[in-house]
Amino acid sequence: MLLSAKQDWLGNIRADILAGIVVAIALVPEAIAFSIIAGVDPKIGLYASFAIAVIISITGGRAGMISAATAATALLMVTLVKDYGLQYLLIATILAGVLQIVAGYLNLHKFMSFVSKSVMTGFLNALAILIFMAQLPELMNVTWHMYALTAAGLGIIYLFPYVPVVGKVLPSPLVNIIALTVFVYFMGIDVRSIGDMGQLPDTLPIFLWPDVPLNLQTLTIVFPYSISIAVVGLLESLMTASVIDELTDTESDKKRECKGQGLANIGSGLLGGMAGCAMIGQSIINVKSGGRGRLSAMTAGVVLLILVVFLSDLLSIVPMAALVAVMIMVSIGTFNWASIRDLRTNPKSASVVMIATVIVVVWTHNLALGVLTGILIGSLFMAQRLSQFMYIDSSYDDASDTRTYNVVGQIFFNSSDKFIALFDYKEAVDKVIIDVHRAHFWDITAVAALDKVVLKLRREGADVRVVGLNEASETLLDKFAVYDKPEQIDKIMGGH
Amino acid sequence: MTTTSKCILACIDGSELSNAVIDHAIWLAQTSQLNLKFIHTIEHSHMSSLVHREGAMIPNMAEHLLGELSDEEREQSKTLIAQGKLILQAAMDKAVQAGLSDTTAKQRHGSVSEALQDLKSEYDLVVLGARGENHVGETQGLGSQLEDAIRAIHSPVFIVKGEFKQPTSILFAYNGSPTSKKALGFIKQAPFMSMQQTLHLVSVHKIQEQAQALIDEATNLLNGIASPVISTALVGEASLALLAYQKQNSIDSIAMGAFSHGKLHGFFFGSFTTRMLLESDANFLLVR
Repeated sequence: MLLSAKQDWLGNIRADILAGIVVAIALVPEAIAFSIIAGVDPKIGLYASFAIAVIISITGGRAGMISAATAATALLMVTLVKDYGLQYLLIATILAGVLQIVAGYLNLHKFMSFVSKSVMTGFLNALAILIFMAQLPELMNVTWHMYALTAAGLGIIYLFPYVPVVGKVLPSPLVNIIALTVFVYFMGIDVRSIGDMGQLPDTLPIFLWPDVPLNLQTLTIVFPYSISIAVVGLLESLMTASVIDELTDTESDKKRECKGQGLANIGSGLLGGMAGCAMIGQSIINVKSGGRGRLSAMTAGVVLLILVVFLSDLLSIVPMAALVAVMIMVSIGTFNWASIRDLRTNPKSASVVMIATVIVVVWTHNLALGVLTGILIGSLFMAQRLSQFMYIDSSYDDASDTRTYNVVGQIFFNSSDKFIALFDYKEAVDKVIIDVHRAHFWDITAVAALDKVVLKLRREGADVRVVGLNEASETLLDKFAVYDKPEQIDKIMGGH
Repeated sequence: MTTTSKCILACIDGSELSNAVIDHAIWLAQTSQLNLKFIHTIEHSHMSSLVHREGAMIPNMAEHLLGELSDEEREQSKTLIAQGKLILQAAMDKAVQAGLSDTTAKQRHGSVSEALQDLKSEYDLVVLGARGENHVGETQGLGSQLEDAIRAIHSPVFIVKGEFKQPTSILFAYNGSPTSKKALGFIKQAPFMSMQQTLHLVSVHKIQEQAQALIDEATNLLNGIASPVISTALVGEASLALLAYQKQNSIDSIAMGAFSHGKLHGFFFGSFTTRMLLESDANFLLVR
């Protein structure tokens, strides 16, 4: 443990520090933009990004992942800030952190397995759309200068990397910010700058308990916000952790990540910052820039704080156009463009899940609701598919006037009606045998369906015998652990 | 797949000590009639040399990056696997020359400690070099992975520190602890202990009577061992006294219980096992 901790921190010092600096530079505009989304001063997002990046570098379960103030969480706090103000946001942030720690202890990260690939894609696409939409107010009712500057900024961001030598060394979002700032300053163009958006940090953050009455009323106000923030924060963090696991071909400790995110949010709230979580785009940038260890997230946080505290005067004259260009870049980078192409080839059900997730998120601005919708629709599709795995064949024995039904397949809530309909109740026979030993009864709806069939046949005057019910109902138990061993599964699933 | 027949597992990496590890493993396999299995691990640094610091987010960048990184690591892995195969082949040839049949070789991805953990049902003795390929040219000190590797093992482990020489004198450090008793039980039963090896049973305590009591206890437990036993009770600090005794009697191997405390304890108070491993040039037989 200690040796791997040393490796996590010091295994890659130079590359981690350089990657951390690249990330810090991109974090500054993002933190400011997300503060604007949430409706608070830029310093709230900047303090949050510092606190979260530094704390998670120590407490997180995924080395090389970057966490800070994010759009996903900022979107959830808009009405809280508008209706109750900053202090309530801070206490909601702390409470969200507490909830995340509880989630960590309860192993809730395991529920991530319910989040399908389509839901994840929908989550990211919706996030990208919301980040883009959040930039629209900056682009409305403005002079043509704003459009020209934003376009120029995007041009620099995407073309500068092609410049030989310097293109691969200097982060192009930084070049965009410097170039546009210098241009606007010397040409004396009158466009909005970051300084117009609210207070920037002029001191280091200080430790303060939020100024709110600690009573039940406060709790009822902030709890719904905290739970949404906690859920969305963990979703994006665990999703990002999986992406980084895949990119670096290493494992992460998801449980530790949940608790770490909680501690980071508590720390952020106490230092006057808003809630945040892992950032998928910045984490990929970090890995791409060579960052693998914990030192990169720590560097990102510390450099960010140094940049904003000592350069706040310079930062305030950066035109909003430069920031909007960075955010459009973030939106483009977050959107899964391949998913548009895949719409034609993927199964329809997958596309429906993805699009439903996007629609619900864009509609409600709440990623948690979108994910929940995606999971529900996806599960319904799955149930629908499984219910097709059932058939009944039957034979008739003249001598004994016996009809034998052989039931094969999965019987559960969604297939029980089909199961009932497959019997011929109008046939007048002396005896009926229902052989279910190759069927699986997954829930009590299935058992009730069988009872109904037996009752109906008896009512028509037949002697009904059910064969193989013990085998068929082995799947009824809620003890999933039973199926952990291959021989158990073979026993239950044998013959399918 | 796991095999049911147990064996000696020798971890080799092509470093300077690898040959000594092979020789010791062959000797142990010959004397104990166990199958020998060589293992080589392919360690990925997961550090990329393709670093882009342009910091811009491009469409589908995760897919692009994943493609790039996996192509790069694929090449590295192929090279490392090929190198490992040569190392394993050389070891296998040596084992065949020594007349061992049923020797197998295996490659795994990951660190030595991971491999030892994953394969723990397949061996009952491990042979490790004290230093690996990251310590070329060093004759002192311990490998960066040694402690993790030893802690991953719950079978006895033989740590090789120098060229092969058939062990003739073995120092057994007994302190009365449960691991110490377990170690004593192992050495008593160990098939490689014969008339050719002298067992130096040593106990160290601050009080002479206590040290003698430990010796009496251990002598009782050792009753019936094939090798000749010389027992000595020493007074003083354990590691210093043991190291001095080893020097005086030019002992080539030290056997003892190892790492009975947790890692945190070792971090704050220093581990006795680590100190002994660092200070002595003898080979070690550690029982966990």
